[in-house]
Amino acid sequence: MKKRTGVFVCHCGINIAGTVDVKNVAEDLAKHPDVVHSEDYVYMCSDPGQKLIENSIKEHNLDSVVVACCSPNLHETTFRNCAKAAGINEFQCEIANIREQCSWVHKDKLKATEKAKKITRSTVEHVVKNKSLEPISIPVTRRGLVIGGGIAGIQAALDMANSGYEVVLVEKSPSIGGHMIQLSETFPTLDCSQCILTPKMVDVSKHPKIKLLTYSEVQEISGYVGNFKAKILKKPTYVDPDKCTLCDKCLDVCPIVVPNEFDLGLTARKAIYIPFPQAIPATYTLDIANCPGLLPIACGKCIDVCEPGAIDYDMKPEMIEEEIGSIVLATGYDLYDKENMKEYGSGKYADVLDGLQFERLLSASGPTMGEVLRPSDHKVPKEVVFIQCVGSRDPELHCAYCSKICCMYTAKHAMLYKHHVPDGQAYVFYIDIRSGGKNYEEFVQRAKEEDGVVYLRGKVSKIFEENGKITVWGVDTLAGKDIEINADMVVLATAMRPAKGAEEFAKKLKVSLDKDGFLSEAHPKLRPVESVTAGLFFAGAAQAPKDIPEAVAQASGAAAKAIIILSQDHLFHSPMVAKVSLNLCSGCGMCVDVCPYDALSLKNNKAEVNEVLCEGCGTCSATCLRAAIEVKNITPGQIHEMIDASVGG
Amino acid sequence: MVNLEEIKKEAKKILEEGKVKYIIGYAKSSNILMAAPVFIKKPEDVNKLIWNPTCFQNLVKFLLDEKRKKAREKEPDTRPVGIFVKGCDSRAINVLLQEKFITREDVYIMGISCEDLGVLDEKKIFKKLKDEKPEKIEFDQGKNIVISTKEKTIKIPLKEILAERCLECTSSFPVISDVFWGDRNNRSPKEPFKSLEQIESLSQEKKWDFWQQQLSKCIRCYACRSVCPMCYCDECVVDSINLAVTADTSAEEKAQKIKWIEKSPESSENFGYHLVRAMHLAGRCIDCSECERVCPVDIPLRLLNKKLEKVAKELFDYKAGLDPEQPSLVSSFKDEDPEDFIR
Repeated sequence: MKKRTGVFVCHCGINIAGTVDVKNVAEDLAKHPDVVHSEDYVYMCSDPGQKLIENSIKEHNLDSVVVACCSPNLHETTFRNCAKAAGINEFQCEIANIREQCSWVHKDKLKATEKAKKITRSTVEHVVKNKSLEPISIPVTRRGLVIGGGIAGIQAALDMANSGYEVVLVEKSPSIGGHMIQLSETFPTLDCSQCILTPKMVDVSKHPKIKLLTYSEVQEISGYVGNFKAKILKKPTYVDPDKCTLCDKCLDVCPIVVPNEFDLGLTARKAIYIPFPQAIPATYTLDIANCPGLLPIACGKCIDVCEPGAIDYDMKPEMIEEEIGSIVLATGYDLYDKENMKEYGSGKYADVLDGLQFERLLSASGPTMGEVLRPSDHKVPKEVVFIQCVGSRDPELHCAYCSKICCMYTAKHAMLYKHHVPDGQAYVFYIDIRSGGKNYEEFVQRAKEEDGVVYLRGKVSKIFEENGKITVWGVDTLAGKDIEINADMVVLATAMRPAKGAEEFAKKLKVSLDKDGFLSEAHPKLRPVESVTAGLFFAGAAQAPKDIPEAVAQASGAAAKAIIILSQDHLFHSPMVAKVSLNLCSGCGMCVDVCPYDALSLKNNKAEVNEVLCEGCGTCSATCLRAAIEVKNITPGQIHEMIDASVGG
Repeated sequence: MVNLEEIKKEAKKILEEGKVKYIIGYAKSSNILMAAPVFIKKPEDVNKLIWNPTCFQNLVKFLLDEKRKKAREKEPDTRPVGIFVKGCDSRAINVLLQEKFITREDVYIMGISCEDLGVLDEKKIFKKLKDEKPEKIEFDQGKNIVISTKEKTIKIPLKEILAERCLECTSSFPVISDVFWGDRNNRSPKEPFKSLEQIESLSQEKKWDFWQQQLSKCIRCYACRSVCPMCYCDECVVDSINLAVTADTSAEEKAQKIKWIEKSPESSENFGYHLVRAMHLAGRCIDCSECERVCPVDIPLRLLNKKLEKVAKELFDYKAGLDPEQPSLVSSFKDEDPEDFIR
């Protein structure tokens, strides 16, 4: 049966009409045997434009529609809904992209017009072979999963839980809090980081809708939007939190001393430990990697002194399976290792600290109880050099990107140092100061003017230890001279990197990463918290370097996106999915191997499509040597006709 | 040295025990330079079996027919088929296993090592004989071939008339087998892709001219496809008329069939056919060179497949058929795979 197709050519103001003779395209397409109506309009996506399409469908009794306009990424949904409103199947509407793929990339109007005709004609060939399809309906598991218990993960979990949905919050370390709990005070208001974070942490622990799994790692995510299954490994802490009274006796007897990661190695901890006093959950963890062994014969001192019998050497790793509707990924960051910085001593000088170490030195709960003292000799440093962009903005040797937060925290560090040591001198080496943000610029100016921090515009070439001092060789490019400072302490604002292990984790979840290893969002402007996988959202520094307010804002955004899914009974999935011709399938399984969505499997030696998982990408179709699998409404037959229309006359 | 009597003994034993349905092997044919495939069902027929450098066919192709035959039978004999394989042939079995076209239980693999030799190339012999008809051949201690014609008797060292693929062979013994004869010495030819040297040295235009000339000869007899153990699709891209129609083929599916390539042996259509075939063999071709051998118009088809083999080796360190468990070339991805050719 012949189709009755309508063609609607959009001017997009002069975006298309400036380079393409849109009237000519509409006239030319009218000659196509399947096209019964063809016209152009200045803004097809406008309300009158959509009305025009609707009316034409009814007036000319159209059964299919081609809209020649911008990318289908932008207005495909608009026009499909419009077709639906006019009473035809929405999958009988196709978009011919004559803007991004034609008018925007060409200058010659004649040639561009010819190309626009070919694009539109090939889309007509496509649509005339389209079948009417119905969206696939899928039920939703109305529970959320948040991976990562830093400030972003905490915020996302709280927002989702406060909206009435159950949330599973998974954190790999023994306590939630992330890096924010290590910080001293936060810019630009200088409020105490722990004081503002701990109430949120308590909220998490007390929230009836939040299931907190600390010391746990997500091993596998299977399923699809609305219906994920997460396998979570809960590592044994060997301490029963319900029995533990936090009497600290085990601490006294434990013979093993290792660097304390919470203080970034500035202090030591025992093999059995509580990460920090306000840890949530408040309990001990026996660090098995450092414990001499769980057999009483090896040590067993802690179990001997534990009066409430909270220590249990027989605790086993537990695999927890959770059913989930949507996921927020907030795996955070780590600092670029000082060891990568050869010119700055590769981390071998005790008095050359990174930003987080200095935070601990400033912190009232830190190793020096808030006094600024040199780690090497516990003397008050009288001259401190702060160096910005350590590893950042260095495309040749280190990271090409700007870590964004260092200008601000360095100003804060210098300022706080001056508050602790008023007679000391602080120097800051910088490339330039990036202080965009509410009250940020004022904050930096305050450091310079009120606290007398000396800002030197230039880079540091070398740092070395000499006579108990740290000699810093740098340059002041504004004064045009070399500078040598014999400092007592140096603080490096090292670059922000995606959290260690994030890369392997992303691979497990099949989330794509950008060139620097940060999570790569679906659209840099319009979908900044979404991944390309439906139902998976991003929050915090795992996506890009960001400060606390930004991480919190993004977390709330991601939570809102996750809630959009959880708030629905059913989700609808595009019916443009792969279909197997069983008589041609030889069961080789190559499609199963290449499917990026795990939508294919072999059943009775034939490929089988899980339509809900299939995103219709067509990789299977391209791989199949036997042409036994095709995507609905974009079949080889249609592609053949489209190629013919594109290359022929 | 491979002892033919031992081979016969084993063949006889497994037939008598009923371990296999039948055995696919080599026997003498009317052409003394070429062994013929033989299907042995009775133990007393094992004396027909031969093993010498004229056994150049790849018998694995017959497994495809066997699979189809079995699928048609109501109560098929599920015993395995015994099959003689050389090193290259055994890798074809591995690819079929990898692609799940056959299962390991379908075959009883009787592997014979080519040791330090290989199989002969008829065309090379004809060149040496200058069109005289060979009447009798003998293999002299596995080193030489003694050919008698009406006029004369000549002795040619085997190395001089071995098939090109044998000279470039890196594993001359079966990599998968149930019984095995001969040694398992790896070969390391200095130039495993020497046959490509000449064509690779040509300019883009000269290469085009070369293939234009070669492929325009093709008469589309599809002998290359018929002999290839990897060409087992029920429906081939070149003949959609041969559509595998079954009870569940819808009218729409039949109507949707596209003629990607015209049937007429025109140069452009021939290009389409041979390039699709070559691409479909990438990472699957095990270089048995049967396609080139059977080509009635002497198109050097092996060059196409060898080139793809070389690319797969260089870019992805991939060689077809080494292990039935290895992921296939086109459907697998490794993080360290090169990407610099993507532009």
